[in-house]
Amino acid sequence: MVEDRPLFTSVARAITPTFLGFIGVLFLVTPVRLFEGGVPTPLFPLVVIFFWSIYGPGYVPSISTFLIGLFQDLILGGPIGIWMVVYLLVQYLVITQRDYFLGRDQHVVWLGFAICSAGGGLLVWLQHSVLAGTWVPAIPLTMQMLVTIACYPIIAIAFSQLHRRVIIEQ
Amino acid sequence: MNDFGQQRRQRPGKQGSRRLSLIFLLTVSVLMLVVSMYGARASAFEKARAMVLDLFEPVLTVFSMPINWVDNRVGDVGDYFNVLDQNEQLRAENEELRAWMQEALTLRQQVDYFKQMMDVKVADEASFVDAQVIGESGGPYQRSLIVNAGTADGVEVGDGVIGTSGLVGHIVTAGKSSSRVLMLTDFNNRTPVFIEGVEVEAILAGRFQDDPELKFLAVRDRAGIRPGMRVITSGTGGNLPRGLAVGEIAQSTDDMITVRLFAQYNDTDFVRIVDYTFAEADPEQEESLEAEAGETGDAPAGETAPAGGPAGAGTPQSGRQDAPVGDSPTEPGTTQEAASTVPSTTASTPLQNTPAPNTPVAEAIADSGDVNG
Repeated sequence: MVEDRPLFTSVARAITPTFLGFIGVLFLVTPVRLFEGGVPTPLFPLVVIFFWSIYGPGYVPSISTFLIGLFQDLILGGPIGIWMVVYLLVQYLVITQRDYFLGRDQHVVWLGFAICSAGGGLLVWLQHSVLAGTWVPAIPLTMQMLVTIACYPIIAIAFSQLHRRVIIEQ
Repeated sequence: MNDFGQQRRQRPGKQGSRRLSLIFLLTVSVLMLVVSMYGARASAFEKARAMVLDLFEPVLTVFSMPINWVDNRVGDVGDYFNVLDQNEQLRAENEELRAWMQEALTLRQQVDYFKQMMDVKVADEASFVDAQVIGESGGPYQRSLIVNAGTADGVEVGDGVIGTSGLVGHIVTAGKSSSRVLMLTDFNNRTPVFIEGVEVEAILAGRFQDDPELKFLAVRDRAGIRPGMRVITSGTGGNLPRGLAVGEIAQSTDDMITVRLFAQYNDTDFVRIVDYTFAEADPEQEESLEAEAGETGDAPAGETAPAGGPAGAGTPQSGRQDAPVGDSPTEPGTTQEAASTVPSTTASTPLQNTPAPNTPVAEAIADSGDVNG
């Protein structure tokens, strides 16, 4: 019983980021309708994947990213694969540039997130345009990405507290 | 904060394997995307979508609870400050509605009378399933709602969904306890509609924006369409009953005619799912109508009603008594089963269904069969 506890807590810690990613997807489909639906819901899963790919890649293994993307595609009801591709590419990009991001000022990381979001947004837009056979309007997606980028610092502070105090227990 | 994560760099070998697994999963996702491109509604994907909906229905219900609560409280506070204005507005609206109600009652009576006179076979009445909106698509390119009613409640793919003020969309995925509603504004939505005033049918197509557009209109039909004209469902295709309010023409230019929807997306918390099956054309009735048309051509107008009454009207009535189509409109499950089975049985064995002792009816059927055979 005494030995079970550390195992349970370590498993709980290990799955927390993935769990947060799934919660983020559920948050996307909850009828929040910020400001009468005028403000889109931020893409929390993107922040989760970006943040932990830098500060603890072991906590969001690629299979977690894959499953979060799959879950998002399934629950949004759109074509399957769109968000999976975007999340996996963002993770790949971040992991290759990880040495650059580690230890940098948070503003630089924020800028990095903005670039990743813009690239991801462009990719989503392109995929939808190809699937629809026409250029789909970019404004709704741009709005959602801008809201996500604007929310990043606040979410990142919360995540870094969680990561340091709970997950790796510094 | 600045040196956060500095000490947790990883060995290059581990990074390499991570990259490999990422590339592998990326390839899988691209393949899935290609597959979904060629079969967006492939049955495997559709089953997965329904399963995910069912699995997360309780979670979504719990998630939407506090949001609905806050929404209602905010609404209450807003109402408190506008109570006088709202009251006056409602009074005016109520007066107007009362006048409309009187007119509607008169019209209903007239319509009933005409129906009786013409002995029309009325399409089955739709039954409704009420549901709560527990989720909506937060994606920028999907406009859909998740509601907490599924196949267990009688919901089927293709059923129409109406909000408090008009048509919202139709069911695209139906799980056991929850389903997804594709809204009229979604790019993939196509709904057959009818434009009142010009009496023209068209297809309403979503276009990633709030006001969907009308498609498949002839040039001469376009000319008469003016902003403000009412758009209703046409009933073509058989999934939706005719006459559900959709919206009004917002803008009419040479390139595009857009429709402003009556259903307000922001206050759609509860919806009604229209459980409706179109009664297929009854061959017997068509025959009797043709026979009747032949009779009326010879006989004077005054004599038509009594003469055509027993012969012409008997056939569809007997068909209707045998057929359980109109018998159980209140039970959604049985209605649908019955409606799907009845036309085939009546078409293959028209004489077996007729009661033997009732000779005039049997003769009428036999006669009409001879005429066409």
